Amino acid sequence: MDFLIGWLAIIPSYATPLLLASLGLIICERAGVLNLGAEGLMAVGAMTGAIIVLSGGNPWAALGGGAIAAAALALLFSLATVVKRADHTLSGLAIVAIGLGVTGVLGRPYVQKTFRGIETLGDLFGIDRGTVFGRIVAVQDPVTSALPLIVFALWWWLQKTRSGLRLTAVGENPAAADVAGIDIQLTQLAAVLASGVLCGLAGAYLSVATSHVWVEGMVAARGWVAIALVIFARWNPARALLGALLFGAADALVPRLQAIGADFPVYLTMTAPYILTLGVLVLSSLRGKTSGEPGFLGLVYLRQDKH
Amino acid sequence: MFDAAFLVRRQAPGPLLSGACYAGGLFVGLAISAILLVQAGVPADALVDEFLVATFLTSDGLSQTLTAALPLVLVGLASAVAMRVRFWNIGIEGQLWLGAVAATWVALGGIGPEPLRLPLMLVLGAVVGAAWIALPLWLKLKWGVNEVISTLLLGSIAFLLVQHLLFGVWRDPATNFPVTAAFPEASRFAATGWGQLHYGFLLVGAVTAALWYLLDYTRVGFYADAVGHNIKTARAAGLPVGATVTGLVLLSGALSGLAGVTIIAGTEHRLSQVVGNGYLFSAIVVAYVARAKPVWVLVVALALGAVFTAGNVLKVFYSISEGMIVLVQGTVLISILMAQFFSTYALSRPS
Repeated sequence: MDFLIGWLAIIPSYATPLLLASLGLIICERAGVLNLGAEGLMAVGAMTGAIIVLSGGNPWAALGGGAIAAAALALLFSLATVVKRADHTLSGLAIVAIGLGVTGVLGRPYVQKTFRGIETLGDLFGIDRGTVFGRIVAVQDPVTSALPLIVFALWWWLQKTRSGLRLTAVGENPAAADVAGIDIQLTQLAAVLASGVLCGLAGAYLSVATSHVWVEGMVAARGWVAIALVIFARWNPARALLGALLFGAADALVPRLQAIGADFPVYLTMTAPYILTLGVLVLSSLRGKTSGEPGFLGLVYLRQDKH
Repeated sequence: MFDAAFLVRRQAPGPLLSGACYAGGLFVGLAISAILLVQAGVPADALVDEFLVATFLTSDGLSQTLTAALPLVLVGLASAVAMRVRFWNIGIEGQLWLGAVAATWVALGGIGPEPLRLPLMLVLGAVVGAAWIALPLWLKLKWGVNEVISTLLLGSIAFLLVQHLLFGVWRDPATNFPVTAAFPEASRFAATGWGQLHYGFLLVGAVTAALWYLLDYTRVGFYADAVGHNIKTARAAGLPVGATVTGLVLLSGALSGLAGVTIIAGTEHRLSQVVGNGYLFSAIVVAYVARAKPVWVLVVALALGAVFTAGNVLKVFYSISEGMIVLVQGTVLISILMAQFFSTYALSRPS
C-alpha cells in the first residue's frame, strides 16, 4: 500500500515533462512540420533552467528562461524547415545534435550542482501529509496542477476556435488553406516556436522542478518518447494526457522500486518505458488511415507544385 | 510571408550550382564551428595547428586520425546504405552496442578455436547488429511503423542491456569498475606498430570497396536508387522493392555491429559504457555529407576522424567539452541542409 501511494504520488511529476513536450509537438505537427528535435530542445530548456536558478534566479523565471532558450533553437529549426524548406527529418536530427552539443559545452561548469527548485503544494499551502490524499497531493507542484487546464485549453483552441482550425488546415491540406488566404509559412513558424516553448518548458521542468540539478544526458530520450506519444495520442491533446500518465507510470516504477529497497535488475526494468512506447507505437500504426496523422506532415509545400 | 508565390522547384539543378551550394553550406558550417571553438577558448591561431597539422601532417597525428576514422567509416556506410532506400536508421548506436556485446561474449567466453576467435567476433557482431534492425524493418514493412522512433527506442534498450551486463556479470573483478576484463590477444586486431593503428583498417578498406562495387556497379545500386527516388514507381516497374529494402537495411545493421566489434577489438580491448557514444550523429553526418556514396564516406569519415582526434587534444589542453564535437557536426549538417535551398528552388517573377 505504501508502495502504491508513493508511486501514485510521483507519477504526475514524471508525466509532466512528457506531456508538455508532446503538447508542443502536437501543435507543430498539426501545422504539418515534423519536429524530431524535441530531445535537443528539451536539453536546452533543462540546462538554461538550471543555470538561471544556480545564478540566483527565481525557479519560475528559470522555467520561462528555459522555454525562451529552446524557442531560440526552434527558430533555427523553422528557418531550416519553414523558410529554407529543408528535409524535416534531417533538420530535426541536426537540432538534436546542436541542442545536446550546446548544453554539453555551455552547461559544463554547472553539472552536478544541486539547487532548490519549485515549491510543492504541500509547502505552499501547508497540506497535512497524514492522510492518503494529503500524501499524494502535497508532493505535487503548481505546474503539474495546471496541466489539465492547459490540456483542456489547447483542445478547445484546436477544435473550437477559428485560429486553431486554421492551424489544422495548414497541416492537413496546405494548398486548400493557402487558397483560403491563410499564411502557410507564418502559421508554421508560429507552430514551431510554440513547440520550442513547450519543449523548453518540459526540459526546464525536468531540471528545475523534479531533479533540482543539471546533468548531461538527463533528458534521457524523453524527447523521443514524447514524439511517439503524439502518434499514440492521434494528435489529440486529451489523449496525450492519458498517454503521458501511462508512460509516467512506467518511468516512475524504477525509482519507486529502488526507494523501497527491492532487489531487481535495475537496467532491465528501465527498459520498460521504451518497450511500452514501442508496443504502443505498433498498436497505433495498426490503425493505418485512422491514425489521425496530419495529411501533409513532414512534406514541403510549394504553391507552384501540383498537390 | 516569404513570397511563396515566386518560389519554384528547379527541374534539374546543374552540377556547378549544386556543387557551389554544397561547398558554400559546408564552408559556412565550418566557419561557424571555428567561431564557436574560438569563443569556447581555443586561440584562433591554434585552430589550423590542431585541426590540420596535428591530425594529418604529423606521423602520430595521422595514425591517430586513421584509427579514429575506422569505426566512423563503418557507421557512415551503415547510415548511407539505409539512406539510399530512404530508411532512417536512427538506431545505429544500438546495433553497434549489441555487435560489441556479441563480440565481448565470444572474447570473454573464449568461444571457438583461437585462430578463428576474431573472425567469429566479427561475424557474430555483424549478425547481431543485423538482427537488432530486423524488428523495426519488419514492423515498417508489415504495418508501416515509423522506423525513426522504433530504431531509436531499440537503441536506448540496447544501451540499457549493456549497462545491465557491465554492472552485473561482466563487471571487471580486478577493479570493480563497470568495464569488462581486458580481452586476450586472440580477440584483438593485431597492431601495425604505427601509432594506435591496427589491422582492422584492411577490413574497413575491403568493406568500403565491396560496397562501392555493390552500389555503383551492380543492379542492387540501381534498384536502391529507384526505391530511394520513388518507391511507388519502383514497385510499379516490377523492381524487387521488398528484397532491396530488406537487404540494404539488414546490411546497415550488420555494418553498425561490425563497427562495434572494430572499436573494442581494435582500440579499446574491452567493453565499457563509453565505447559507442556519439556514433549516431557521426554516422548521419558522414552519410549525408558524403551524399551516401561509399568512396565519399571514406573521405568524410577521415575528416571527421581528424575532428575527433583534435577534439581529444582540445579537451585536454583547453578543457573543451566533448559536446563540442556533436555541436560542430550539427552545425555543419544544418548549414549544408539550408544551403541546398538555393540549388533546389529558384525565384521566378511572373510578369
